[in-house]
Amino acid sequence: MEGRKEFHEQLDDLYLELLRMANATLEVLERTKVAFRDGDIETAGRIIEGDDEIDQYVTRIDEGGMELLARQAPVAIDLRTIVVIMRMSQELERAADNCVNICKAIVNIRRYTLSPWIKENMDEMFRWAIKIMAKAIDAFKERDPDMVEKLVRMDDTVDRINREFLTTYDRESENETELVVRVVMTARFLERVADHAVNIGEEVYYMVTGEFAD
Amino acid sequence: MVDETPIDDTKTRISEYSRRCADSFTRETRMEEPTKESEPRITTDSLSMSYGEFKALEDITVQVPRRSITAIIGPSGCGKSSLLRCFNRMNDLVEGCRVTGEVKLDGEDIYAPGYDVIQLRRTVGMVFQRPNPFPKTVYDNVAYGPRLSGVKDKERLNRVVEESLKKAALWEEVKGKLKGSAMNLSGGQQQRLCIARVLAVEPEVILLDEPCSALDPVATQRVEDLLAELKERYTMVIVTHNMQQAARVSDFTAFVMIENQGEPGKVVEFGDTNHMFTNPVDERTERYITGRFG
Repeated sequence: MEGRKEFHEQLDDLYLELLRMANATLEVLERTKVAFRDGDIETAGRIIEGDDEIDQYVTRIDEGGMELLARQAPVAIDLRTIVVIMRMSQELERAADNCVNICKAIVNIRRYTLSPWIKENMDEMFRWAIKIMAKAIDAFKERDPDMVEKLVRMDDTVDRINREFLTTYDRESENETELVVRVVMTARFLERVADHAVNIGEEVYYMVTGEFAD
Repeated sequence: MVDETPIDDTKTRISEYSRRCADSFTRETRMEEPTKESEPRITTDSLSMSYGEFKALEDITVQVPRRSITAIIGPSGCGKSSLLRCFNRMNDLVEGCRVTGEVKLDGEDIYAPGYDVIQLRRTVGMVFQRPNPFPKTVYDNVAYGPRLSGVKDKERLNRVVEESLKKAALWEEVKGKLKGSAMNLSGGQQQRLCIARVLAVEPEVILLDEPCSALDPVATQRVEDLLAELKERYTMVIVTHNMQQAARVSDFTAFVMIENQGEPGKVVEFGDTNHMFTNPVDERTERYITGRFG
């Protein structure tokens, strides 16, 4: 006998809302990457303005999750799924906030010409950040607890590129302090995006296994 | 939380009370044997139970820790209440009932030939689904057990009644109407009176068979609060249909189910309540507690 049908339908709706938010966040990341590469301040401005949309996802998911917790008293996998969806929405929202920060940097450095070194390395950093976030979302979709190990290894690569911005790049551009700071900060923002993706992987591990990832 | 109530206190209290009773011989003998706080109060080993041809329970092996609340949950007809009733041999009263395997209380087989069943039911008290006070006064309900055990001294009876009602968190509500009929109390008060009646004979274990199913939410909360207080002194086993109640009040949970209609009930999972309600081991437990079947 199938019980609690309505509750499980509501839980499915919450799950789908998070997937929509995850897709929206990935799209923001992609658009931020292009805006940085092209120095496109109009797109950067639209991303900054559009952050409200991501915040609204968080509000809807929080409200939906709280309602299910209060009214349905979920347990076991249902409880873990709701808690993880609510936490994941926070991680995605912070990842999107980092894109907003990058877009503000794009506006601030519009008068500078980016060197091929910056473009190439930042592009690589963007590609890794997007890849790791997409993998984390796949882990959630596929309920794959083992993905977290792969995410940690990918994050190591992002950390390495981020360190290169701190070590290699600043010596090249010592005369352009604002550019140095903004570019180094952008790399740092992307490194944080990757950290949020790893957190999502850990949440998925907890959701599926009931144990906390090491 | 560490339970700091020394077991010796309970033993002394029970021994003193036993001495006051007319028929205290079995308890005196048993209480002299050392019991360790870490050892389970009740254990079953390969317990099976049949009503005539119908096998209600099969191969039940559980350990009920002392000074804690163990909940038994499971779908209707799975044998929860039958299992509970094995712990004080209430099933003996059902014609055609047959029990195999072991049920031990403090290491002693309660189904062994010659075991004192009257003493067992004093040691292992029971509270039922519907409040069932005797049609007597509040006072007489609580004094009934001690009187039956031979306590005649009025002062002593007064003391037992007051202490039992206080332990059952009912004293303040009924102290002015002890001579009034118990039937005039509310449902929740009647159920706490039944708990006081059990406490008056100084049990060690209290079995509760869906004690809140006939109560409103406020009365249910009072009983649940009471159980939390009582577990510092007593071992309690509660059968409940309400999974959230099991999650709220119990320290350990046993999930009983039948695979197919007509088959005996089995314990699918037994363990820490926190763990069972956040991350159950068995998939069947998860499906049941999340409402995916049953």
